[in-house]
Amino acid sequence: MIELTNVSKTYKNGVNALYNVNLTINQGEFVYIIGPTGSGKSTLIKLLDGEEIPSSGTVNVVGINVGKLRHSKVPLYRRNIGVVFQDYRLLPKKTVFENISYALEVINMRKDAIRHRVRRVMNLVSLDDKGNSFPSELSGGQQQRVAIARAIANRPKVLIADEPTGNLDPAKSDEIMALLEKINREEGTTILMVTHDLTLVNKHRKRTISLENGHIVADMEDGGYMQHAK
Amino acid sequence: MLSRLFRPIKEGFFGVGRHAAMSLSSASAVTITLFIIGVFLVFTANVQSFTVNIEQSMEISVLIDYDHEQQEQIDAIGLTISEMDGVKAVNFSDKDQEFQYYIDSFEDEAEQAIFEPFREDNPMHHAYYVEVNDGDDLETIANQISKIEGVYEVNYGGESSVTLVNVINSVRNGGAILAAALSLLAVFLIQNTIKVTILARADEIAIMRNVGARNGFIRSPFLVEGVIIGILGAIIPILCMVFGYIYLYDALGGIVISNMFTLIPPHPFVLYLALILLGVGSVVGLIGSLLSVNKYLRWKR
Repeated sequence: MIELTNVSKTYKNGVNALYNVNLTINQGEFVYIIGPTGSGKSTLIKLLDGEEIPSSGTVNVVGINVGKLRHSKVPLYRRNIGVVFQDYRLLPKKTVFENISYALEVINMRKDAIRHRVRRVMNLVSLDDKGNSFPSELSGGQQQRVAIARAIANRPKVLIADEPTGNLDPAKSDEIMALLEKINREEGTTILMVTHDLTLVNKHRKRTISLENGHIVADMEDGGYMQHAK
Repeated sequence: MLSRLFRPIKEGFFGVGRHAAMSLSSASAVTITLFIIGVFLVFTANVQSFTVNIEQSMEISVLIDYDHEQQEQIDAIGLTISEMDGVKAVNFSDKDQEFQYYIDSFEDEAEQAIFEPFREDNPMHHAYYVEVNDGDDLETIANQISKIEGVYEVNYGGESSVTLVNVINSVRNGGAILAAALSLLAVFLIQNTIKVTILARADEIAIMRNVGARNGFIRSPFLVEGVIIGILGAIIPILCMVFGYIYLYDALGGIVISNMFTLIPPHPFVLYLALILLGVGSVVGLIGSLLSVNKYLRWKR
């Protein structure tokens, strides 16, 4: 499903973000990626999303070599994956309903099918009554849920979530986790979740990959966070 | 299928409405520049028409010598003139007609009566009036004609005619250059305004790519928006130009200073003017947003 082979990334300004990373994630898995700020988590997401090109090595997602995509083909690739960004990235001038339906309009889904599917995912994230609200009228947790609803609307094979609980209190974080687990279970979506939240990682145990200074320092099948040398 | 065609149009209108303030600022940039272009269009079109009028009314008068008044001699001179390069038309006027013109040039009947006795012993010459294609050739052709045998005198208004032609030419050329420069400036100004407008939406474009929208899918509503803004911006200049020109024409009675400077009649001139402004507005809006949106599509991968 996701396969990184000898991936290194050096930015134009000389910053080394990832060193020789090898990683395989199978279909249907739920994986945490943890690590301190500057450990290369964001770079890893940008490589998977096609926003950045690896300096060396290959990034292969759902059989597509992401680093080799042409600029105009990147959006087509993105239809296979859903990304929930830390800053939500909702369209500010579109309502909640339109934000979610936009992701379906771009793949030319039929109008009634779009309406049906948007209602379904809004129900899934418990935002049934917020369809006509604009993102600025919602709380952080609600915007986060809109972002998740948009990401899963077109039934992507992979869902990448960047700090989906970063701005939420523990109770709301548990709600989001329950939601992601439901998506993972019910839709069979492979989920890659980047997080800082150690309590969460320890509470909902999953495969956990630990990044530090651009290296994978731990990959634990049964999860739990091991304090690494400070 | 049909919805795929109408979506950009619908989205374009929504875009204008939802970014009302930005749309208004872009549209007002279009308004100002189209206004300037409109004024210059009116100015240059009228100067152009003056020039044509004046050049057409410029003719060379050729007086024939008393000793060449035989019909064949007159015809021969006429033929020689009409075969010259740059000569558009040659009109003959005999000495009786010339005499009548001369008398008619006095308004007072008493003065006219003074000249009546001379009708029998007519002192006037037979004359040819020569029209030329280009005012610049006036002097050369006049010189050539004066060398023909039997030509008593050639008159083309002399230096002053040539100067007038030169002045008109430089006004026309200067006007055209100024209008072209202004149009370029307008495109630049509008493109910049739209760029600033879309800059605020660079994030929006990046998000659209994030959720899997193709470049063309993103671009099309922005292009419609650009055209709408261009058309909106063209409304005020068009109304001002159309009604302003009709008012100006009526107020001046269709002429400036003298009959030589006749204004172009408002119908259908103002219609063309309106169409040109509308066309320039929408094309500039389209190009402006195309250049800008392409730039921001490349902003992120």
